[in-house]
Amino acid sequence: MARLKFLCDTERCIECNACATVCKNEHEVPWGMVRRRVVTINDGEPGEKSVAISCMHCTDAPCVAVCPVSTLYQTDLGIVLHDKDTCIGCGYCYYACPFGAPQFPRSTLFGTRGTMDKCTYCAGGPEENGSEEEFRKYGRNRIAEGKLPICAEVCSTRALLAGDGETIGEIYRERVIARGFGSGAWGWSSAYYPDDRG
Amino acid sequence: MSDEVKIHGRDFTAYRIGGAIAALILGFLLIWQVWELFDDDSLTVPEVHWGAASGEGETDGVEIQSGIIASDVLRARTKLQDERFRSGPSPDAEVPEYVIGGGPRLIESPMGEETGVGFTEAWAQMDGETATMVRGPQRVFGISSLPYAGAALFERPDGRNWRFGMADFVTHLGALAILGFSFLLALILAIRGRVPIAKGRSGKTVKRFGFLERANHWMTAVSFLGLALTGLVIAYGDTVIRPFGEPLLGDLGWLSTWGHVLFFPTFTLGVLFMILKWTWGNLPSRLDIQWLKRGGGFFSDDPDNPPARKFNAGQKLIFWSAVIGGLIMIGTGITLMFPFYWLDLEGMSWVMLIHAGIAVMLIAIFIGHIYIGTVGMQGAIEAMWGGKVDRNWAEEHHELWLAEIEDGTARREGSR
Repeated sequence: MARLKFLCDTERCIECNACATVCKNEHEVPWGMVRRRVVTINDGEPGEKSVAISCMHCTDAPCVAVCPVSTLYQTDLGIVLHDKDTCIGCGYCYYACPFGAPQFPRSTLFGTRGTMDKCTYCAGGPEENGSEEEFRKYGRNRIAEGKLPICAEVCSTRALLAGDGETIGEIYRERVIARGFGSGAWGWSSAYYPDDRG
Repeated sequence: MSDEVKIHGRDFTAYRIGGAIAALILGFLLIWQVWELFDDDSLTVPEVHWGAASGEGETDGVEIQSGIIASDVLRARTKLQDERFRSGPSPDAEVPEYVIGGGPRLIESPMGEETGVGFTEAWAQMDGETATMVRGPQRVFGISSLPYAGAALFERPDGRNWRFGMADFVTHLGALAILGFSFLLALILAIRGRVPIAKGRSGKTVKRFGFLERANHWMTAVSFLGLALTGLVIAYGDTVIRPFGEPLLGDLGWLSTWGHVLFFPTFTLGVLFMILKWTWGNLPSRLDIQWLKRGGGFFSDDPDNPPARKFNAGQKLIFWSAVIGGLIMIGTGITLMFPFYWLDLEGMSWVMLIHAGIAVMLIAIFIGHIYIGTVGMQGAIEAMWGGKVDRNWAEEHHELWLAEIEDGTARREGSR
């Protein structure tokens, strides 16, 4: 089976925020929430790097482990999905997430912050694939159509790669060899290789 | 043992049978919990299978094969992101298989847990080529031009530590403490019976708690039970309620989230009033050491218990648990009600962990309090229910307090 992952090549990311924008548009993500962001490190200094981040769809996903109401679940492609009908807005997943991926509509008084939203790897939710209800709650289901997340497919510099982990790893390594440098797969250790933590 | 003992703990046969039954049930639950500790199911495993649909929106029934086709479809699409000279688009190039529509649709179906474990374990294995490109875990914050809270965060490996603290440490420790302590108490009830009023009831009562004290106690108690039960749904619902259906767990979880908050004001009020009313009587004294050394005379039916004023050392421990534990719970609870108002993500993470950790400990401690105040000791409930206790009970457990009030009453009567 393929194991779907995200990889952002920081040498190519130009902080255009197209991934974040197209994601919001494709899924009609509600106001105040964002499924994909671009973070810039050492802004304005030598060694400045930008890197796009969303839910990484972790191995041994910590959010699934801490969810008290079984809202979060994983599929055998590695995609971590959520069920908005059972979510109680406790925010545990946000504390457990190594990438700050879960989003909440409110950060107001009294505990619950509304139903959590996060990147679905463009794979919808538990509703019937392609149904209107699924779209309303989770956005487009591109995986069901055999397509990959739109953030990566729209990326003009092909900095953001999505799809089978082995394949994108190969593409990236070949690229690093061809150009002679690369700063590695950011976040992969925290996301995909939990035993590797130092 | 002196001849004055008229009632023995072992005489409470019905209570002891009840205790034995409870001990049996709790013993099984405890064994189950210990087994849960070591059964290695703390891994997150996939529960849903993606497969290629054949025809009418059904997978062809062969899980592995439909999965292979689904993988092929997605791999073909992944390759489109390769260098352009390889991936096209070029009018002369051949149309790659699957990638521009016409391929099978992919659909989800539930899968067995056994298969899931294999997936997670395989994913966690890093091959040599991947090892050359993976960056180690590190805390990375930058800036983001997006206007969202927390948008500047890239990576915080501590998330996985929080998961360990919450899902593995606090949850299991709490279950062990709660079940273990309950089991112990049930066993004590079965073997030792109740702590009796050894000399039997005298028929005379003395006033122990006023109306306001009792009302406040029960207000705090009901609030605590409400908070504890709603909290337990959130902490253990995944284990205990989920087998009865995920929608039920979702509904109960939602009720608990809001209910938890509703019990907060009365609980806070109760704890604050207790501090005002009872702190003076609960300051530690030299008598407490003696009382603790003799275990409060808990295991003997002899009426000669270590002397105590209005509150003995055991009650003082309960009082300070309620006050210190309660204040921590109130403080962390208020913080959790105002997420990110004065603490950042790491601060909130710690607050949540502390809230959960102290909560399970308090629940275990107060199971002890409930035990000794009801079935564990004859005549104890009357103090908080009607406010008056039997004079012999008072003499056996709080002789210095009894002497004080009788002295006071005598003096008042004498002056009349």
